[in-house]
Parts: sequence; structure tokens; C-alpha cells
Amino acid sequence: MAVERASSSDAFGLLGLPAQFDLDPQVIERAFYDRSKDLHPDRFANAPAAERVVALSQSRALNDAYKTLKNPVKRAEYLLAQAGVTIGPNEKLDPAFLMEILELREELAEARVANKLPEVSRLQRTMAERRKAAVAKLQPLFDHHDLPAIKDQLILLRYLDRYLEECDAALDEED
Amino acid sequence: MLMQIAEPGQSTIKEACKQRVVGIDLGTTNSLVAHVADASPTVLGEDPIVPSVVYYGGHVEVGRAAAAHALEEPRQTLASVKRLIGRGLRDVEGVRAMLPYELEGDDRAVKIKLAGRAVSPVEVSAEILKELKARAERELGGPIEGVVITVPAYFDDAQRQATRDAGRLAGLEVMRLMAEPTAAAVAYGLDKGSKGTYAVFDLGGGTFDVSILKLVEGVFEVKATGGDSALGGDDLDRAIARVKFPALVGSGDPRDMARAVGLARQLKEALTEHDPATASNGADEITLTRAELRDIAQPLLDRCGKACRRVLKDAELSRDDLDGVILVGGSTRSPIVRDYVREVFGKEPLCDLDPDQVVALGAAVQADVLAGGQQKVVLLDVVPLSLGIEMMGGVVEKLIHRNTTIPAGAAQTFTTYADNQTGFDVHVLQGERETVEACRSLARFTLKGVPPMIAGMGRVEITFLVDADGLLRVTAKELTTGHEASIEVKPSYGLTDEEVERMLIESFEHAEDDLAARNLRIERVEAERILAATKQAFVTDAALLTADVRAAGEAAMRALETAMAGNDYLKIRGAIEALDLATKPFAQLRMNRAIDAELRGRTLDEVEADVAHGDAARHAQHAGTQRSE
Repeated sequence: MAVERASSSDAFGLLGLPAQFDLDPQVIERAFYDRSKDLHPDRFANAPAAERVVALSQSRALNDAYKTLKNPVKRAEYLLAQAGVTIGPNEKLDPAFLMEILELREELAEARVANKLPEVSRLQRTMAERRKAAVAKLQPLFDHHDLPAIKDQLILLRYLDRYLEECDAALDEED
Repeated sequence: MLMQIAEPGQSTIKEACKQRVVGIDLGTTNSLVAHVADASPTVLGEDPIVPSVVYYGGHVEVGRAAAAHALEEPRQTLASVKRLIGRGLRDVEGVRAMLPYELEGDDRAVKIKLAGRAVSPVEVSAEILKELKARAERELGGPIEGVVITVPAYFDDAQRQATRDAGRLAGLEVMRLMAEPTAAAVAYGLDKGSKGTYAVFDLGGGTFDVSILKLVEGVFEVKATGGDSALGGDDLDRAIARVKFPALVGSGDPRDMARAVGLARQLKEALTEHDPATASNGADEITLTRAELRDIAQPLLDRCGKACRRVLKDAELSRDDLDGVILVGGSTRSPIVRDYVREVFGKEPLCDLDPDQVVALGAAVQADVLAGGQQKVVLLDVVPLSLGIEMMGGVVEKLIHRNTTIPAGAAQTFTTYADNQTGFDVHVLQGERETVEACRSLARFTLKGVPPMIAGMGRVEITFLVDADGLLRVTAKELTTGHEASIEVKPSYGLTDEEVERMLIESFEHAEDDLAARNLRIERVEAERILAATKQAFVTDAALLTADVRAAGEAAMRALETAMAGNDYLKIRGAIEALDLATKPFAQLRMNRAIDAELRGRTLDEVEADVAHGDAARHAQHAGTQRSE
């Protein structure tokens, strides 16, 4: 039922960072901390109400920007969207990959039903490795400004992330 | 050193609102109050630890005096109420059997049954807060103008609101609720100059929290937090009691249960220094070894371990990324807990600061920050539990995920699900599970006035906004007409956040006279009540009055009447205390005779009416001030 997210102003601009994929996580974090020192509502605890309201919404936007940019996949999606390329809910998938992910999910579902938690953990670790490799492929694609290839890679990553979420859910069920 | 940020034109404001603000650690077992003086925080009081125990006899006692009644009158001596605050009967089933006092209420709120009445955990907590407030006012020589109260990071919204209500009921201006592990990290970060990424392992009497924080110059960021708001040292005491004193536990007499738990705690604490430890149950010497304790504790420790692994995962870190592990909470004094922490994190835990004091110290620092004091550290805290709304079929759609930095916001558009649907029900939930039943319900409201359309055509945008206090505001807006409805997930005592916000702003603007006027009002009401009750008691129980107690009592009443005519609330408070003291022998006699008429005659309704009254007085005060401007 969810259709769209609210738009926010430019995430890179809010953090004072160049709009590029290649960013050191430490640099992003540093920028976030520096901006937070100026914008956090606690710094305005004694300021007039109007200033406090502004600080609150700026701080919210800053937190949101940081959340987007610190995660490489979200950062890539954000850059892609800025370039006018969006990823819809029913994007085409490479048939070979589709077959593979379906099999993997079946395997996970079986382990889950049988309550084989070590098996779920193993599948999760394998997938986490694979995701890491898939993320690493993004940088060269950005270097070549190959937007269609970036888009394909991000679609693939969505499937991998969804799989990892299912692993988490299975492991959390033991409560 | 922390960054000092100079702000032109701000210094005069800061001078003008030089505050008496404190931090309070309102613990399950013990509570403390701390204050920042000369840039470093200290706990207040010679014996800073106030046991979180309230005794309801003919009058109310708090702390050590109250705890002294625990064995004789377990049903009137309320300990560990933090486990009940903001909880419904269904939530507390697990602890219920182990508490010496009886509960009633419904699935929204529990109450504790006393002889002849019932009190809510909010009221009991307010008594503890009043005691701490009085202590701080004595030590600092004036009214407390603002307070930061700590709560377990893993407390949900209902538990937080209830804690805030308790502060309000105690006549405190609650500037912020702060997560306990965050407070601890602040104290470490400032006092020890710790920098880097730390885990805070906080095992208190009744709650367990684990947080990962990054401490850098001027900014402390909570990376992730997790825990179990119903797991603590109390559980270990009870587990030991079940194994070691089964006869006492099984007798059905709450006094036996209280004894068994007391003995279990003795054994546990003795094991910190010796191995094995012994205690007598009256008939036999009972021995407990550390190895046995470890076995008894294992299921509880496993729950801690699970939360630790999850929080590391949420922070996207491995244990090797941590620079250290900070221990907080009395239960971390136990060697078996320390061994376990070492095992889980693969590091020698830090405990240079007193684990009992460290939370209150950090809260005092945050109070100082919020009051515009000398400390200039910014705390980036997170939402501890995901927030979402109910979808068709009873599933929960999360709008803000756990461990999102606050302030935070999220908006999503939903479509109508039936033809000609004219209303849109919004049910706000908190929790990690996917079904409505497994999450905590925070609020419900209906957006009316949706124009009739075919299913799927009506579009409603739901916005969640969480402020720096962690308070949630939800808005629903119909996108074709722009029709809007919103709800604050708000304090249950009836003030909206806007009202609170306005009062807070105004109280900063008129801090001195406003608070003095309010305190004066509160003390006068209190004085009137006590005078009336004392006069009544002197008549009805005249037989119990000795001549000198009568003379002393009457002199104290005259002094109180004189003080009430003046404008100094501290004088009134002093006169009330003097009257209490003068009539103590009389009150004791009345109690002994088991008349059990309440000297103050306060009921829940009166207390609530009193709070409403105080707020009305504050409004009137503001209105007057505005007119004069």
C-alpha cells in the first residue's frame, strides 16, 4: 500500500559534501557531527520558539540525510534519483538471477520452517558476503557513469537485502 | 576538552537564567540526584543513594525510612514500582507473583492495592521524586527549576510518558527524559575524556539496557540501543530465592517471600567478596557458591547476551570495533556478571566510575546543557523501538525504524481500501513485531471527511514526527482535499505537548517569578490540607493527645498559619515540616492503635485535582504577565 516517500532537500548539500558516490564513511560521519553541533535542537533550548521550530526541522532533515548517505546502497539510489533514474516496484530481472534467488529463498524457507537456526545463520553469512561484493561493484560503475548498469546492480541489491531481512526475521522469531 | 561555542548576545540570557537544574536517576532499586557545579557533576547528599521504596502508613515515607518497614508491612511498603510504571496488568504477569504487594487495574494501567485505597505507580514514583527534589533544594538552597530524569533506553512510549507524569506530579519541570546508558556514557565521556566507540552494559535492579555509543569531541552519538525492560538484578534475587529458600517462597505469606528475597540478595551480594557465602533461614545455614549462582543466572545472562549481539548488529559493528565496555547498574558489581560481559565483548569492562552514580551524573550534565550551562556536548539519541501504523489484516507498517536518530520524521502515502470510504482509521503502534497484537498500541484516531471515491483512489499521507525528546506526533492528510487530522501521543494527565511546550518556553522567560509563584501556591495548598487534617485529628482522637504534644502541635499550627500569610514558600515548607515533627508522637499513637485513618486524607483524585489546580494557577500567572507587557 505504501506508494511514495516525502521529498527532502538535497542530502549532500545539508552535510556540506560533494554529490558523488565515492565518499569516505569517516568523512560523512565527521560532517554529520559538525553540522549536528550547530543544528541540534538542544543547542536552541533557550532560543525563541520560532528558532526552535526551525532547528527541529533542520535537524530532522540532517538526520535523514545522514541516514541516506552513510549507507552506500541508499547513497547510490539517491544519486540515481537525482540523475532522474528511478527504480520502480516491478523492474525486470535477469532470468538466471531470478531463478537463483527463488531457489535461495526456498532453501531459507525450509530452514525456517524446520527451525534450523544455525542453517539460517549460515545462509545469512553467505548472503552478507555476496552483498558486500555486489556493493563493491558500484564504485567502478559510478566511475564510468554507467547509469543503466548502476540501476541493474541496485535492483539486484534490493533482492539481496530483502533476503537478509528475511534471515533476520527468522532469527528474531526465537524470542 | 569540550568545545566552547561562543554565541554573541547570548551571555546575558544565560546570566539571566542561571538555573538550579538537576539530573535524577529514578532507579528500580535506588535513586539519586546530581547537579553540575563548576563544570563537573556531583551527586547530592551525604548518603546520595535513596532506596526507591515508598511506605504508605498513616503518612508517606520514602527511602531508607520506608525500606525499614519492608519486613513488617510488605503490602504497604512499595519497592520496584519502576517495573510497573506505564504498564498494564497483562504486561506485568511475569513479575506479579513475585511482588509482595497486590495489583489491580486493567490492560492499560496497573494500580497497587493498599489498605483502603489503591495507588498508581506514577504516584509512587512521584513520591520518590519529591524526596529527591526536597533533597536537592536543601543542598542547593532554592527551588529546582528543571530536571532531566533518566529512563531505561528500552522503555516504550507508555513507560516514558508515565515517568514524565510522575515528574509533573512531583512538581518538577521535566526538561528531558534521557536514556540511562546514554547518561552513563556522557559521564564517562566527560569525566574520563573517553573517546571512541563504547558499549554500555547497564544491568539495574529491574531493567537491562545495552547501547553502543560513539564519543567524539562535542558530540555523543547513540549508534544503537537494545535491551529488556523487564530483566534485572531483582530477577536474579528471586531465582536464587526459588532455588535456595523454596519453603519461604512457597508459603504464600508475602512476608516470607520478602524474607526469602532479602536473604537471596544477601547471599548474592556476599558472593561479590567471598565464595561461598552463607545465610540463615532461621532453621538452617544456607550456602551458595559462585558456580551455583552462575547456573542460576545463566538463563538471565543469556537474555542479556542476545540483546548484546543484536545491538552490535544494529550498529553494524563487530565486538572488535569497540574501544571499551562501560558497566552501569548495581547488578554489574557481581563477578559473574563481569565475567559474562568479558566473555560477550572480549574486553575487560570499565568500571572506574561508581556504577550506582554514573547515570545520575550524566543526567546532571544533560540538564546543564539544556539550561544553557557550561557544557556544550550534543547528544544524538535514537528511537529505541520502531514506530508504525496498522494496515489491513492487522499487520504493522513501520514508518520509523528502531535506532533512527532523533529528531526524526517520515511520511508515507496510503490508499483507501473500500469504495466510498469517508473515514481513515489511524492506529499508531510501537514495537518490532509484524502483527498488531504483538506491538504496543500508542494511539488511535480517525481522519474524517475523505471524499467518496472508488477504492484505491483516496490517498492519505501519514506523517510521523519525533522530536528531540522522543515524543511522537502523527498527522494524517487527505491529499485531494488537503483535509487534515493529527494526534500527539501525549501525556496521560491531559496536557498536550503544545501546552507543555508553551509553558516550558514561558517558564524560561519568566523562570524566577513563575516558579516561585507556583511553589508558593503548591505549598499553601499543602499547608491548608495539613492544617485541616491536623485540626480534625486533634478533635477526633483527642484521647491520644498528651498535653505537651497538644501544646507543641498548636504552636506549630500557629507558626504555619503565620508562614502561609507570607510569600516565602520555603518558610511554609519549613513550617509544614515542623508541624509534622511536632505531631509525630501523636501520629505514631494513632497508627499503633491501628485506626489507620489517613492523616492527610489524600486520595488519587485529590492529588490529580491538585496537579490540575497547580497548572491552572500557572496559566493565570502567564495571562497576567502577558497583559502587563
